Amino acid sequence: MRTYIINRLLQIVPVTIIVTFLVHALMWTVPGDPVYAFIGIEASLDEEQLDILRKKHHLDQPIIIQYFFWFKDVLHGEFGRSTTNGMKVFDELSMRAPVTFQLGICAFLFAVIVSVPAGIISAVYRGRGPDHLATFFSIGAVAIPDFWLGIIGILLFGVSLGWLPTQGYVNPFENPIEGLRHMILPAFALGCTSCALIMRQTRSAMLEVLAQDYIRTARSKGLFEARIVLVHALRNSLLPVVTILGLQTGRIFASAIVVETLFGMPGIGQFMVEGVFGRDFKVVQGSVLLMASMVLVCNLVTDILYAWLDPRIKYDG
Amino acid sequence: MLKHINFKNIFKPVLVLAIFLSFFLGKAYAEPSYGGHLRVGIPKFPTSLDAHLGRSGWDAYYWRQITDHLVDADRGLKPRAESSLAESWEFSENPDALTLTLRKGVTFHDGTNFDADAVKFNIDRILDAKTAATPRAAFTIITSVDVLSSHKVRFNLSRPWGSGLAMLADRGGTMNSPAAILKLGEDYGWNAVSTGPFKIKEVVSGSHIHFVRNENYWGKDKDGNRLPYLDEVTVRVVKDPSVLTASLRSGEIDLAYAPHKDAKAFKEDSNFNHFSMEAGKMQLIVIFNLAKAPVDNIYLRKAITHSIDPNFINKALYFGENTVADSGMWPTGAWAHDPNVARPHYDPKKVKEFLKQGGKPNGFEFSVVSFGSMKPALEIIQAQLAQNGIKMNIDILSGSAINAAMYKEGKYAMAATSWSRYPEPDWIGSLMYKSDGYYNAGKLPNPELDALLEKGASLTDVEERKKVYKEVNSYVLDQSWVVPIIYQTFTAVAPKKVKGLETLTMHDGKMNFRLISMD
Repeated sequence: MRTYIINRLLQIVPVTIIVTFLVHALMWTVPGDPVYAFIGIEASLDEEQLDILRKKHHLDQPIIIQYFFWFKDVLHGEFGRSTTNGMKVFDELSMRAPVTFQLGICAFLFAVIVSVPAGIISAVYRGRGPDHLATFFSIGAVAIPDFWLGIIGILLFGVSLGWLPTQGYVNPFENPIEGLRHMILPAFALGCTSCALIMRQTRSAMLEVLAQDYIRTARSKGLFEARIVLVHALRNSLLPVVTILGLQTGRIFASAIVVETLFGMPGIGQFMVEGVFGRDFKVVQGSVLLMASMVLVCNLVTDILYAWLDPRIKYDG
Repeated sequence: MLKHINFKNIFKPVLVLAIFLSFFLGKAYAEPSYGGHLRVGIPKFPTSLDAHLGRSGWDAYYWRQITDHLVDADRGLKPRAESSLAESWEFSENPDALTLTLRKGVTFHDGTNFDADAVKFNIDRILDAKTAATPRAAFTIITSVDVLSSHKVRFNLSRPWGSGLAMLADRGGTMNSPAAILKLGEDYGWNAVSTGPFKIKEVVSGSHIHFVRNENYWGKDKDGNRLPYLDEVTVRVVKDPSVLTASLRSGEIDLAYAPHKDAKAFKEDSNFNHFSMEAGKMQLIVIFNLAKAPVDNIYLRKAITHSIDPNFINKALYFGENTVADSGMWPTGAWAHDPNVARPHYDPKKVKEFLKQGGKPNGFEFSVVSFGSMKPALEIIQAQLAQNGIKMNIDILSGSAINAAMYKEGKYAMAATSWSRYPEPDWIGSLMYKSDGYYNAGKLPNPELDALLEKGASLTDVEERKKVYKEVNSYVLDQSWVVPIIYQTFTAVAPKKVKGLETLTMHDGKMNFRLISMD
C-alpha cells in the first residue's frame, strides 16, 4: 500500500505539468494580443508602453519558452505576480485557498450528513412516504441551480428573517460563530446538488445490498433491523457511494466559482475566473496547479478508502 | 398684577437668553456628526489602488478615498482651489507652461511631506514609459517639470493645455508618496500612500477594502469643520444585483447605486434616502469602423442608427430608469454637453430613404462585437434592424479581445459598449475621434477634425472651447460615427442614517465619501 501511495503521489507531478501546459496553450487560442487583456477595455496605453509590458511578461517569446519561465519560477517557489493587478499569486492563493477549502468541506459535509441517512431511509422505506419525500427533494435539488438556491436563501434567511448574513467571509479561527453563520448559506447552496446525487446513489446501492442473501440470512438469525442496515448493509453499500463522493469533490470545487461570486467570498474560484477573463497566465496557472493537485489527492484518498471499505481490494504498487 | 411687572427688566434677560441659545443651538446644528462605519457595495474590485497604474474606471471608487487631486473640480468640472492640492495655478505662453503653487502643511499618510519634489516625482513617473501608467497619453504634452521652490512647480508644455486642469482632476492628478513607492516597489499598488481623507487599513482581494480616517487630513468643509466625518469605510464587492438589493435591505450594506430593477422601489421607500445623477455613465454606445464595409457608407450607418428605438430599450432593459441620449459623448451636466445638437433618432421612414441612398434598398448584413452584458440590448437592436431588412450578427468577446479585434485589427464594422463618464471633451476627442486615436477603429486620416480637436485642447477659455466641441459633436453625430443610445442614471440609495448623498458623486460619476456622515 505504501508503495502504491508513493507512486500515486509521484504521478501527481507529470499530471499537473501536462494539465498546466495544456491550460497555458489553451489560453493562447483566444484571439488577440494578450497584452490588451492585461490592460482591460478602458485603459489606452501607447505602443511603447505595450511593448514594455510584452517583454516584462515574456509575451514576445514562444509559448513553450513562456511556460518554461513560469515552471522554472514555480520550482523556486515563485508563482509570479498577476499581470492584471500586480498581486503576488502565491500570496493570493495562500489567502484564498482556505476560503475555498472551508466552503468545499462544509458543502461536502452537509451533503454527506444529509444524503447518506436520507438514502438509507429511502431504501429501507422503498415505495413508501419517506422514499417519495426524499426522491422529491433530491430531484428538486438536482434541478435547481446553485446560484438560484443561493439567491432564495439570501432573500429568505438574510432579508426576510434576518437570521444569516448575505455577504462576505469571516475567518472561523478569529470568530467561530460569525464564521459559521457566514458559511451556512453558501455551503447549503453548494452542497445541495451533491446531496441529491449522493442520496440517489446511496439508495440504489442499499437496495441492491438489502436484496442479497447474506442480509436475508442475518434477518433469519434474528438480528436487529437497525444493526442489519447500519452495520451489515451500509458498509457494503458504501463502495459506489465513495466513488461518487470522489467525483463530487471536483464538482464542488468547480461550482464554488458561482457560489463564491454570489456570496462575495474571496476564494480561488473567483480568482481563477477573473484570471481567465483577463488572460492572466500566472493567476490561471497557479490556480490550476493548486486545484489539479487537490483533485488528484482527493482521488487518491478515494482509492485508499476503497481498500479500507473492502479488504478484498489490494494495491500492489 | 400686570402693573407690577416691569417688561423692560424681563426683556433684557430674555434677549440675552435667546442670543445665547441661538449661538449654541446654531453651533450644534452646524457641527457635523462625526464617526461611523460606512459599508458600500460596488460590483467590481479595483485593478490597483495606485491611481496611476489602475486600468479600470471602477478603480476610482477606491483610490478616490485615499487621494486628493492637484486640481479638484466640482460636478460640472469647474476647478475649485479650496479642495485642491494646488492653492493656485497659472498658465503662461511663449513658452507654454502651467505653474502650480502647492498647498503647505499637507503630508502623505506615511508622514512625509507633500511638496514640489513629490509632484515632479509623480509626473516624471507617469511620463516614464516603463511605468506603463494609464494617464500617460494625456500627459505627454508635459515636456519637463521644474521645481521652482519647495511649494511651486512648473510643467513645461509642448503647446497650450486647455484640458490641463480637467486632466489634473482625474487619476493623473493624484499624488503618491515617493518614499513609499521607492520602499515598496511592485507591492506599492495595494499599499498606496497618498494625501487623501482615508488610509488603507486592509485589502482582501476579491472581497473588500477597509479604509480608516486619516487623522492628519488637511481638508475642511465649507464651515471649517475638519474632514472626513466618517471613522471607517468598507467598500465591498457585490456582483449580483439581486444580492446587492438584498444586502441593502438587510442592512449589511449602507450605500450603493441601486440596480435598475429596484431603483423605483428604493426611491418610494421612506426608510431610504436617494440621490440621482443623470448620465453617470454612458450605458449604451454604438461605435462604427468608418473604414469597414458596409458601414464605410454613411447612409448605411444612418440607416442603422435611425432604426434603433432607445425608448424601447430603456423600458425593456432598464425599467425606464435611464435616460435616452439627447446629445453625443459629452454627458449631461458637463459644460460641453449640448442637447440642441442634431443627432440620429428613431425614424423608420428615414431608414428606407437612407437604405436607398446607400445603394442597399433591400437591406444588408454586418457584424457587431461586444461583451456579454451587452447582449440583451444587442438582441433588441438586432430585432429592430431586422424590421428594416438589416441583418446584424452579434459576436460576444472578452473586453480585451474586443479592443484588439475592433480598434487594432479593424475586423468589425461596429462595436457596442458602455463607457465611463468623461466630462472633459478632449479625453474622448483625442482617444476616439483623432485620426490616430486609440478607439478610432478605422483610423482614416481626417486633418480638419484633428486640427479642430487640437484647437479645442489648446484653448483655455471655456466659452471658446464650447464652440469648438459643439462643432466636433455635430460632425461626429451627423456622420453617425460614435452614437450614444442610452445615458445611465446613477441612483445612490442609503438608509436615512446616512447623510450627504448629494455630495457623493464626483464629476466622473464615481463615489467620494469625504463629505458623507452617519447619525
